Order: sequence, then C-alpha cells, then structure tokens
Amino acid sequence: MRRCKSKIIVPLLASLALLSACGQNTETDMDSQLAAVELPNGMTVKEQIEARQGHLKKIGKAFKSISDQLKADSPDLARIQAAAALVPKEAEGMADWFPEGTGSESGVKTDALPVIWKNKSDFNDKVLAMQEAAAGLDTVAQSGDVATIATAFQATGGKCKDCHDKYREDD
Amino acid sequence: MTTEPARILVWDGAVRLVHWLMVALVPLLWWTAEQGYMDWHKRLGLTMFGLVLFRLLWGLFGSWTARFAPMMRRIGSLSSYLGKLRRREPGATFGHSPLAVLSVFALLIVLVAQVTTGLFSVDVDGLESGPLAIMVSFETGRQFAEVHEFNFNLLAALIVLHIVAIAIYRFVLKEKLVGAMVTGRRSRSDFSEAHLPDNRPRKYTMMIAALLSVACVIVISN
Ligand code: HEC
Ligand code: HEM
Repeated sequence: MRRCKSKIIVPLLASLALLSACGQNTETDMDSQLAAVELPNGMTVKEQIEARQGHLKKIGKAFKSISDQLKADSPDLARIQAAAALVPKEAEGMADWFPEGTGSESGVKTDALPVIWKNKSDFNDKVLAMQEAAAGLDTVAQSGDVATIATAFQATGGKCKDCHDKYREDD
Repeated sequence: MTTEPARILVWDGAVRLVHWLMVALVPLLWWTAEQGYMDWHKRLGLTMFGLVLFRLLWGLFGSWTARFAPMMRRIGSLSSYLGKLRRREPGATFGHSPLAVLSVFALLIVLVAQVTTGLFSVDVDGLESGPLAIMVSFETGRQFAEVHEFNFNLLAALIVLHIVAIAIYRFVLKEKLVGAMVTGRRSRSDFSEAHLPDNRPRKYTMMIAALLSVACVIVISN
C-alpha cells in the first residue's frame, strides 16, 4: 500500500543524504600540531598558508576589476592600470610561498595539492611563466591600448589556469 | 462545442519546446562548465535564463495547463490524489497532477536560483564571470559561484526524482506520460471529466512573452 509513496521518497532522501555527505570535509583537524610548526623563513605553517592565500586573493580581486573594466562600454583605464600594476607586486616571491609541509597534511585548510611537492620544478616554472605574463600585462596596461590589454589579460589568465588545473584542488 | 476531437491538446507548443530545450541545455551547461568552455557556458546559460523567464511569464499568461494559478488550486486535492496513488488508480489528470505541481514548482525555483546565481558568479581567478558580476565584489561573486555550484546538485537531484517518478508511472501505474510531452496531445477518452478547461494558447500573448524574454536576455548580456 505505502510502496508507491516510499518509492518516491526513498530516492529523494538518498540523494539528500548523498549531497550532505559530499559537503562534509572529513580531513580537517584544526588541532593539528603540524599547523604550528615553524618554517625556515620564521613563519608557522598556518601563517604561511594564510599569507599566500591573502596574496592570491588580492591577485584574484585585481583580475576581476580588470575583467569588469574590459567588459564595460567605456573601460576605466586608470583602474585597469592600478590593478595590472598590483598583480606582479603581489606575485613577487611566489615560488617561496609553498615550502615543504604547507600542504593539506598540515590540517590547515588549503587547496594546494600534494603533487606540487612531487613536481616542484614544474610548479616553479609555472610561477615564473605567470610572473612574466603579469609583468607583460602591466607594461601593456601602462601603454593604454584596450585591445592589446585584453589580449595580454587573456594570456596571463591562461597562466593562472595552467597551474590551477594541475596544482589546485577543484572547488 | 458539440463535436470534440478524439485527441485534445494537453501541453501547448511553447511548454513542450521550452521543456525539451531545457532537457538538452542542462547536460550541456554541466559539461561546458566542467570542461571550462566558459564562453559557451555563458551563451547557453543566457539562453536558459531566457527560457526560464519565458516559462514564468507563460505560467502567468499562458494556456490553462501551463498556468500557475490552476496548479496552485490542484495542491488542495493532494491528499486525495495520494490516496488514489496508493490504490494504484490515479487515472489521467488533465495537466499536472497535484504531485506533479509540487515537482514543477520545485524545479522552477531551483532553475531560477541556478540562472540568477550564474549571472553574478565569478570564478577563482577573477577571469571568468557572469554578465552581472560587474555589480558585485570579488568575494560576493565567489559566494554566488559557491551557491551556483551547490544548487546544481539540487537541480540534478530533482531531475533524477522527476525521471524516477515518470518511470514509476510508466511501469507501476501503467500511465504513459512522455508521449503527450512530445506530441502535446492525448486521447479525449483518457479523461473522465465531462468538461475540460479551455486550454488554447493565445498566440499574441505568446509572442509578447517571447519578445520580452529575448529583450531581457539582450539587455543583461550587454
Ligand atoms: C604556479 C601555480 C599557480 C599560479 C601560476 C597561479 N595560482 Fe592561484 N593558486 C595556486 C594554488 C596552489 C592555490 C591554492 C592555495 C591554497 O589554498 O593554499 C591558488 C589559489 C588561488 C586563489 C584562492 C585564494 C584563497 O584561498 O582565497 C586565487 C583567488 C588565485 N589562486 C588566483 C590566481 C590568479 C588570478 C592567478 C594568475 C594571475 C593565479 N592564481 C596563478 C596556484 C597558482
Ligand atoms: C540552468 C542553468 C545553469 C546550469 C545547470 C549551470 C551549471 C553550472 C555548473 C555545473 C558549474 C560548475 C560549478 C563548479 O563545479 O565550479 C557552473 C559554473 C559557472 N556558471 Fe553556470 N549554470 C547555469 C547557468 C549559468 C548562467 C545563466 C550563467 C551566467 C551567464 C552561468 C555562469 C557560470 C559561471 C561564471 C561559472 C564559473 C563559476 C566557478 O568557476 O565557480 N551559469 N555552472
């Protein structure tokens, strides 16, 4: 008698349960001792991870403001230039932001994948490729031609993506 | 009104076209997003936005089986319909059954959420973003993207439920529902009611709703 109703409700509950299971983050252990370990540069693991995320977030913000301006009918060149100048500054020294021990095994929330430390020289090449592209974008931006800026912006964005596809956890 | 045709219109052309376009677009939208073909994702997403908008307008001004108000009234007979389902004799409903009404509303709400969050979404690089993301900050755009991603799971779950329900009707209750969503018509004798509501779509209303939706999409995408 109740079969028909439960046939509809059971898959619904099952899918909801599955959903909430996917949303759980099981491996974070915030009490981890590893997060407090001091690195050779004087920062703790936690500080290092948070510092790099802070830089990257600023880079992301700068990128969005360039992208917004490029979409606008009359792009505000001054804002593009300010943002383009910020990126190479924020990305300075990026190769040093990922010392051994600053992966997810530390218990700190990070999207940096363990493969970074298996391919450190390839990772560093990708850092360099992005830094060069970003410096190029900055130069082009100061020249003021919107079409060339758009091309350089796409090229730099491609370098971010190259690295994220391989070394950053897909969220 | 003396001679009724043997086969009558249940789902008008607009409802069917929108329905099948959505069926094609959802997997495509998922696939383009996963593959990172964001130009196509945004184009198809805007098309989906237009379809959802049109469907909402059609729910206000469309043919009888498309309109929301009669659907709402159907919810009142939900428990008696569930009783009939338990006895395995639901019979054909002209338009959406009380249970199907719930499914329509749930799907439309989730679709509205999906397309609106998409318009404001910003990806992690700040490189790709929806056409309205220019109005929000990087952080807010990222939050829209999170909701956009989570809500897609809800949409997928509802679609699975929708398909399972149709399969149960087909194989357990012996009610074939898909045919009518293709041809739009069912046999008049399927329905026990002596009088059925006037279900004719109004052509000019349809054109105005379609034009309005297209205009909205164009305004947003520029
Ligand atoms: C060489 C690799 C690499 C390159 C190049 C790179 N990123 Fe990342 N990015 C990462 C990794 C790894 C993370 C995850 C860091 C973490 O969570 O600890 C990340 C995270 C981020 C985040 C999220 C920060 C947060 O936690 O809030 C943003 C935003 C970001 N990147 C933007 C960019 C932009 C924009 C570019 C290009 C200009 C770029 N990245 C280039 C590797 C890279
Ligand atoms: C029913 C319609 C839609 C569906 C099913 C859909 C589906 C998806 C999916 C599955 C993702 C990947 C999420 C992830 O894993 O990160 C995504 C991302 C995205 N979508 Fe949509 N989408 C829809 C409509 C739209 C619309 C209308 C727009 C704007 C024009 C849009 C813009 C975006 C953007 C910018 C992203 C990238 C966000 C990120 O990287 O996190 N989407 N979409």
